[in-house]
Parts: sequence; structure tokens; C-alpha cells
Amino acid sequence: MTAAAAGAVPGATPGPAALEVEDLRVRYGELPAVDGASLGVDRGQVVALIGETGSGKSSLALGVARLLPPSAVVTGEVRIAGCDASSMTGREFRLRRADLLGYIAQDAMAALNPVQPVGRQIGELFQLHRGMSRPDARAQAVHELARVRIDRPDLVARRYPHQLSGGMRQRVMIAMAVALSPPLLIADESTTALDVSTQAEILALLGVLKAETGSGILWITHDMGVVAELADWVAVMYAGRIVEQGPVHGIFDHPRHPYTEGLLRTRRDLRSGRPGAPLFQIEGAPPALSAGRSGCAFAPRCPRQTEICAERAPALAPPPEAAADGRLVACHHPVPPGGAP
Amino acid sequence: MARTLTRRLIYGLIAVLGVAVLAFLAEFVIPGDPARALAPRAQSAAVLENIRVQLHLNQPLLVQFADYFANLFRGNLGTSYVQRQSVASLILPRLVYTGWLALAGVVAEVVIGGTLGILAALYPRVRAAVNSVNLTLLAMPEFVLGLLLLLIFGFRLHMAPVTGGAGPAQIVLPALTLGLIGAPWYAQIVADQMSDSLSSAYVRTAVAKGLTDRDILRRHVLRNVLSPALTMIGLDLGSYLSGVVTVEVVFGWPGIGLLAVQSLQNLDRPVVMATVIVGAVAVVVFNLIADLLRMYVDPRTKEEPA
Repeated sequence: MTAAAAGAVPGATPGPAALEVEDLRVRYGELPAVDGASLGVDRGQVVALIGETGSGKSSLALGVARLLPPSAVVTGEVRIAGCDASSMTGREFRLRRADLLGYIAQDAMAALNPVQPVGRQIGELFQLHRGMSRPDARAQAVHELARVRIDRPDLVARRYPHQLSGGMRQRVMIAMAVALSPPLLIADESTTALDVSTQAEILALLGVLKAETGSGILWITHDMGVVAELADWVAVMYAGRIVEQGPVHGIFDHPRHPYTEGLLRTRRDLRSGRPGAPLFQIEGAPPALSAGRSGCAFAPRCPRQTEICAERAPALAPPPEAAADGRLVACHHPVPPGGAP
Repeated sequence: MARTLTRRLIYGLIAVLGVAVLAFLAEFVIPGDPARALAPRAQSAAVLENIRVQLHLNQPLLVQFADYFANLFRGNLGTSYVQRQSVASLILPRLVYTGWLALAGVVAEVVIGGTLGILAALYPRVRAAVNSVNLTLLAMPEFVLGLLLLLIFGFRLHMAPVTGGAGPAQIVLPALTLGLIGAPWYAQIVADQMSDSLSSAYVRTAVAKGLTDRDILRRHVLRNVLSPALTMIGLDLGSYLSGVVTVEVVFGWPGIGLLAVQSLQNLDRPVVMATVIVGAVAVVVFNLIADLLRMYVDPRTKEEPA
């Protein structure tokens, strides 16, 4: 059973999955940032990829989107809507990439060209990939802005990025990503820089667009607090590997990996902790990138570690006593379903 | 927009007036007697006194000052002490020559510097080479470079005329001198801006849209590089129009800089004043034009703080 198949949710749109990633590895020189990750996103499904800074989640996303600098070495298999993207040449991928996936960056202010009106930046896609004339592309850009619920899209199309609010800019980014209706959207910390209410609006918009287009969304975030608002499926990354994945409520209610459990416990304490009560923390710090590690990367910080953890890295597999929900855990001693004894 | 323009014009006028006043006062600090400069072999004090009266040099400073600026406001730059003709008619052809040289020089430095900068930004391995070229050019005094070019291209290779004069053939070497001296600044600013732009998130967005490298450069990078270069072009045009003294002297280019030096030696005050004023106006005007162009190229600069 592949991870992609495991990621299938009942009632998902038939046809090839939006994204299937098989044993993806990203290296910067000798240092592995992603150390063999497999992951699937179905059509109409939102998969949240969570993890701390440096866990490799952005490298994974950028590796899938082929947006890493040339110094990064990416191997592994990436299929987008059944299409083997990893075997395409740079030119083939460039010609098809906007039809295959839309990338929504974190900081829309930086990700939009400061000296071009936003309508032109959206219209560029239609000129390039649909052979439209500039006026037609302009009209289409206005239409796309309306699609992301922007009022007076004709006016906004003529504005420059610095003349728009943060939420508007992020909507423009989203409009650009969904313009050619790709089967896959990658949202890379796309709401992190926004204030809470704008963040909620953007999340709601992504939900609506997902329902309208049936695209799958790979959502990279470190904000556990908002994951449940949009995600169907959660994958947790630690030190370049996916250590646990499963349906969002399963993960939140019964985390099986000690790292996931620790993350959730910290969050619970933050939310409901009494003033003055000690905050739960995972001991130690995430490991630095290093080559040739044996054993589980989390072992040195793990309360449940034993000898085997240092010797052999655990494979991502269904845990014992699992409910049939597709859960996968990479742990020699997973937390029992009822919580830690 | 109109308000910004009006404000800038008023500031510019104040700047020009300030420069003119300072220049006027400076001329009286410079030791020397224009009358004696005009008639160096005159024996009698009466002759010299006669000249002074003719040139109103016997008047108190304040009266001369008032006269000069009253004339200036009427658009009258006065009469040259030495040439006995109106300063305006004297300076205009010189200004045209300097204008051509300034234009050719700026084109040369933008082409040379821009090319070096773009190469340095695109090919990291070229960057070190460009940096040493920059350093060499920066360390080179203008007159040395000018003489070197004259020696190589004029006397050795006979590719450029070595006799004075001011035609299309004669402009090449002085323009090249200006271009090489100014190029490092453009190379640096273009390389930095372009490196920033190439590693920016908006270029990544353009990659994500499937644009070709060429389209990314053309549509997203170059315009972001243009804006700071424009400011520098404006500054350079302005300052070159006020006279590129060294280069004009080395190549015998009959521009305003050469005139300024000659007039200063002759204590020909009205002409010196005029060259200073023309220079100040040029700096102000070209700065303004550069800023206006910049607003067009980079809309962020339009909304300046009140």
C-alpha cells in the first residue's frame, strides 16, 4: 500500500490523485533536507504538511514545484494528476507547470512584481499559456480577480501590489495560482503573515475554491491552530521525514507518534493552561541537517525511546491497534490509541 | 503630481539662486584684478581705472551684486570682459558641444557599466573579474585614462584623430573616457539590483508561472533594475552638462568646461558666473527629469511622504 493510496479519502473525485510523491529526497550539497518522503493528495482534498522550521516541509513543497535553487538536488518520483512530473525535462515542465500546479507563496508582497499592475501579472499566464492577446488576457485577469471574491476587480487589476492590503495581495496570489485551474495547489505558509481575521478569510476562500475546482491542496504550515479549519489529512514532518500521517481528527484526537503528541500537548497547554502552570515542552532541539544518520531522528528527545530507536530508523507503516483510517506512523513504540499511559 | 512638480521646481529655483549667490561672492574672494588681467601690460593707473569704470568694478560690492541679479532676472547674463560679446552668445555653442559629449558619455557608461553589471549578476564566476575591472577604473584618474586612450587609439593605432576639433570622430575618445570612468558605478548598482531581483520571490513567482528565462529578465527583472540606474543617469547628465573640465581639457573639446577654465584664468567674471549657473540649472533639471521617469518606471516612488 503506497502512502498515496493510503491518503485516499472516501468519496474523493475519481481519477488520478492530484499529487503522488514517492520517496522524495532533497539535498543541499551533502545535507539532506528531505530524506525520503512519500505523500499523496487527492482531488478535492486538503493535506496539511506540518512541522517546525527546518523540518523540510518547505523543501518538500518547493521540490515538488521545482522551485528550489539549482544547488538543491532533488530525486524521487512526483506525479501530478497522473502525469509523471519528475521525468519531464526542464522545458517540458516549464511549458506545463502552470497547468499542473499553482504555487501560493507566503509573502505576497514580495512574491508579486512591485512595478507591474497585478492584473497584468495574472494576465501574463493567459498570454503565455493560452495564446491570448493582451486585451483578452486583461479581461480574463479581471474575471480571475472576481473569482477570488475581490470587489471591483476591474479597478484592482490596475493597482500595483503596494497599493493593496495584505489580504488583497494574498487573494491576487491565489488568483494567479488557480488561474489555469491546475489539479494541484501548493500553499506554502500562505496565511502565516496575515492577521487572524484575514487569515480566516483566506482559509475560507481556499476551501471554497477547492470545492469549486476540485483541486487538491498541499498546505504547508507550522500553525497547528488553523490546521483543523481546512485540512482533511495531516502529515507531520520531523528532520526531513514524514513521521506520522492520517485524517485530521484522528491525528488531533489520538496522535500516535511521540513527536506529534508532544506538539499537540504544547498547543493544548498554550490554549487552556492556567496562568503560572508549567508549559509542556519537548525536551531538546530539532537536529541539524546531517548526512548518514542511523536510527530515529527524534530518539534523543523522545520519552519513549529504547535501544532499537538509535539503531534502526522506523519505517512509515500502519501502527498496531490502528483504526482502519489509513493512519501511518514511523515509530518503534507508538503511543497507544488511548494516549500515553 | 502637479503639486510635487511645483514643489520640486521651487526647490530647484532656490538651489540655483543659492549657487549663483555663492559663486558671485566667491569671485570677489579670489585674489586678482580683472582689469589687470585684461591689460597686463598697461602702465598707467589711469588706463586700469578706466577699464574698472567701464566694467563697473569701481562700484561697491552690493551695487554690483544688485545689478548682476537684476540683469539675471531679466535673462541677461551680461557681457564677457575679454571677448566683448554677450555671454549668452558665447556660452550657447559651448553648451551644445558639452551636451553632445555628456550624452555620448552617459550612453557609453550605461552601455559599458550595464553590460558589466548584467554579466556579473548572471554569471557568478564573472563577478570577480568585473570587480577588479571596476576597481582599476575607479582608481584611474580621468586625465591619465584620457591620455592613455589618446596614446593607444590615436598615436599608436591611428583609429581616432589626435588633432583637436569637435566632430563625430573626435567625440569618441572623450566619450569613452567618461564612459569608462563612470562605468564602475553603473556596473555595481546594476549587478547588485539584478542579483537581488533574480533571487527575489517575484522571480520565483514568474518561474512558477512557466515563463522562459528571457521573459523573466525582460518582463520582471530589468525594469526593477532600471529605476536606481535612472537616478544615476540624471545625476550624471546634470553634472556633465556643468562641464567635464578634465576630459575637455585633455581632448581639447570646445565645451563649457574648457570655457570655464579659460574664463577663470582671465578673471572673466560674467562668463564664470554663467557657466556656474548653467551647470546648476542642468543638475536641477536632469534630476527632476530622472525622478519623473522613475515614477513612471517604479510606481512605488510616486507616493512620497508628505
